[in-house]
Amino acid sequence: METLSFLANGFTVAAQPINLALILVGCFVGTLIGSLPGLGPVNGVAILIPLTFAFGFDATSSMILLSAVYYGCMYGGRISSIMLNIPGDEPAIMTTLDGYPMAKSGRAADALAISGVASFIGATLATIGLTLFAPLLAKAAIYFGPADYFALYVMAFATIGGIAGIDPRKTLLAAFVGLMIGTVGLDPATGVARYTFGSFNLYDGFDTIVALVGLFAVSEILMFMELKIKTAAIIPLGRTLPRLSTIKEGLGASFRGSGIGFIAGILPGAGASLGAVMAYTFEKQLNDKDGTFGNGDPRGVAAPEAGNNAASGGALIPMLTLGVPGSGTTAVMLAMLISLNVQPGPLLFEKQPELVWGLVASLYLANIALLILNIPLIGIFTRLLRLPSWALMPFVVAISYLGVYAISHSPFDLMVMVGFGVLGFVFRKLDISLVPVVLGLLLGMDMENNLRRALSISGGDPSILIESPISIGLYIVTGAFLVFSIYLSTRSHKRRDV
Amino acid sequence: MVKHFNIIRKASAASLLAFVMAVPAGAAECIAPADPGGGWDFTCRTVGRLLTEEGIVDGNVQVTNMPGGVGAVAFANVASKRADDPDLLVATSTVGITQIAQGKYPAGVDTMRFVAMLGADVGVIAVNKDSEFETLDDLLAAMKSDPDSVITAGSSGVGGWDHIRLLQLAQAGGVEDLKTLRWVQFDGGSPAVTQMMGGQVNVVSTDLGEIAGFVESGDIKILAALSDEPIEAFPDAPTAKSQGYDVTGYNWRGFYTGGDVSDEAYDGWVANLKTLYDSPEWQQAAIASGLTPIWRGGPEFSQYVIDQEQLMGNISREIGVIK
Amino acid sequence: MSDRLAGMAILAVSLVYLWAAGGYEAGFGDPLGPAAFPRIIGIPAAVISILLIIWPGRDPQWAGGRRLIRQIAALATLIGYALLLEPLGFVPSTFLAVGGLALLMGARLVPALLTAATIAPALYILFDRVMGLPLPLLGPLIT
Repeated sequence: METLSFLANGFTVAAQPINLALILVGCFVGTLIGSLPGLGPVNGVAILIPLTFAFGFDATSSMILLSAVYYGCMYGGRISSIMLNIPGDEPAIMTTLDGYPMAKSGRAADALAISGVASFIGATLATIGLTLFAPLLAKAAIYFGPADYFALYVMAFATIGGIAGIDPRKTLLAAFVGLMIGTVGLDPATGVARYTFGSFNLYDGFDTIVALVGLFAVSEILMFMELKIKTAAIIPLGRTLPRLSTIKEGLGASFRGSGIGFIAGILPGAGASLGAVMAYTFEKQLNDKDGTFGNGDPRGVAAPEAGNNAASGGALIPMLTLGVPGSGTTAVMLAMLISLNVQPGPLLFEKQPELVWGLVASLYLANIALLILNIPLIGIFTRLLRLPSWALMPFVVAISYLGVYAISHSPFDLMVMVGFGVLGFVFRKLDISLVPVVLGLLLGMDMENNLRRALSISGGDPSILIESPISIGLYIVTGAFLVFSIYLSTRSHKRRDV
Repeated sequence: MVKHFNIIRKASAASLLAFVMAVPAGAAECIAPADPGGGWDFTCRTVGRLLTEEGIVDGNVQVTNMPGGVGAVAFANVASKRADDPDLLVATSTVGITQIAQGKYPAGVDTMRFVAMLGADVGVIAVNKDSEFETLDDLLAAMKSDPDSVITAGSSGVGGWDHIRLLQLAQAGGVEDLKTLRWVQFDGGSPAVTQMMGGQVNVVSTDLGEIAGFVESGDIKILAALSDEPIEAFPDAPTAKSQGYDVTGYNWRGFYTGGDVSDEAYDGWVANLKTLYDSPEWQQAAIASGLTPIWRGGPEFSQYVIDQEQLMGNISREIGVIK
Repeated sequence: MSDRLAGMAILAVSLVYLWAAGGYEAGFGDPLGPAAFPRIIGIPAAVISILLIIWPGRDPQWAGGRRLIRQIAALATLIGYALLLEPLGFVPSTFLAVGGLALLMGARLVPALLTAATIAPALYILFDRVMGLPLPLLGPLIT
């Protein structure tokens, strides 16, 4: 009950005209930034920080603006995944798997609508979770040690085996290639430079965004050059308005995906990408009876989108209750709080109730705003497909270069991006899925760090990896998942034989 | 076709409008050699904002993030491309100088001109509120009798500044085999503290700024502050010195600029930063973020950096981090 | 055949990768060390690529003739864009890259140039001026 009165106070803060305006602006700008390949929530939030200083907003209004941008980016990331097969940011990679096939078969509007609704469900459920259980969940997350994180990453990699591609060997190989690429750079535990060939440019390893844009966007250009010249549009336009019935198909998946994503979000470091991966793989395992996943199954769009949006809501919990960044974006938001003289940490709820609850309330409003905003956007974005590909694709290239350059100011990164483009092109030709490459690169580093941390704690004794109930539980789930998927695949083979 | 150009025309009209309304681009630039959200990023953004707000420089100070190699990428970039750029500041700190001393940057401190430091974060040794260690003596005694029994953690890797500070203290406490101490690296001070609250590690050595919230809430307690005087915000936390261990460990925040910058531009920056340092706004912002305002500028600061590089090199060799 | 070549390439990379891992060692304080994880992932990568060499999948259709030339030209444009972005500045290099790619994708000359002439300055204004992400307007080669 106390929570509700806090929340009511929060709504009075959020409903101030200036804050309402900031929510709308933030949602709109966030959706746009999120939909541009190479620019994600971290940049979106970083871009707007000087603006909040310039206008002299107080801490509450600033946080409301930045959170609206954050949520907006998470909604926006899916758009280019669906329309162009190019994820707008890391968490949106899973959405390419079924979103793009849907668009290719003329159902772009459906895919955008389903993912919009799924994003809304995921983000709203996460916000409700945040409202009711934040302090409790933060306490639980503390007990998640390095060995448990390692078990979580093992589970993530064990389950991606089945996500995409015809040949499971190639999916696995792609994941290992991603993991190998991920080890390039200074080893954080010891400072040893690995696979850098003496170049300082490689000291931080390969940036995931650079790899992502190269693998997906640049390779797309090379794929295009093989097509017959003057193909008018990239994909058929189909309907410009979504059907209600397809949205319903994704509802169950949205709720399941939200739950999984939310949990991934609460754990600092795991974040939205992991939420999307787990939501997708579990949904596929549960419901892919006819092999429709990967060929444009609405549930394959709904689950990861609900998952990554729920995860970004979940990531606010460690940020608000502990001052621990759950992701790159929340790290930026924390830094901004500090520079506005607000000390994040366990006392934030007590000392700054107006800020915390105003923020929470504005998240509800932002979600509604985003849902409403995204419906007319469906029409606009599907019409973009009428643009001739000779205009659209070079534009995407320019945005990709700009996104990469504007953030690192490094021509070297641009060359790396082109290199990843060639790699992506060859892999696509060979039917090697690109998604596991990105996941390997994205999660491998954390996986190794947590393994090393666990063993540093135990002084090298590997039994620490299976000591805690959490890690044992995760390994049991992983085992059950693998057994179940082998059982399913033998059964479906039999059925095909008949 | 016509439709397509209409869209482009509308878009360019809109962007032109935005152009007119936008804030004028500034002349000065501050490179934060890390991703957004860290200490260097904070230094650039806060100092940049205050330089503009106080009217010390004209226009906005543009903050550029150039992450990589704990500052090495930005260092290499400035040395090769912008050594004479008079409008450039690059954020650095003790952490950066430690890297230089350990040979992890492409060149030494003499490659750059060090402008000034504006404040320092204080290193602390912290434990859980219900820890068995009540004082620094307890901790060091336990480390001495069984170095393997205490699990320590911080935000730097092995041989980084957080680790070195702890090892210096252990050395002062008579721990002989420093190499058997267990050290766990986390991606920041607050993740290390939460893992300590979850019971994964026993002791955290890191800067106070990032974890002050946990001290305030009583979740953790400071066994030793590695400062000369007690910290203003937590006067009850004892310094290591007051407990008989002569170890201090500050992490100062400051700036360098390219090595070929003219004396005129260099002196201009020193003067600008001094004006900023003296403003109440900086004093307030620094304290709020856990920094103690300390000024060193110009030649004095350059000499300080040279001395500190040598000191760090010696400590690192002595402890065995580098050969 | 393509699978076999790819398998061999990845096998070669993982062998070099494993060999290089042997040279990484920590001073002290890190029980697992920097070499262990690369070994954990390098060995299965090598094994799977051997499997791929022995039992390759079906061959993809690679482009030939004019299409191959277009691919190479596109790649050259992309590399040129990356190399010239700083020397020429963002606006001129984007103009050249967008125009070039549009022509390669079959646009007629005038619309391609008009598109490039619109996109390049519009993006500069949007990102540098409005969003505050610094970009070089004109590079040292021009000014």
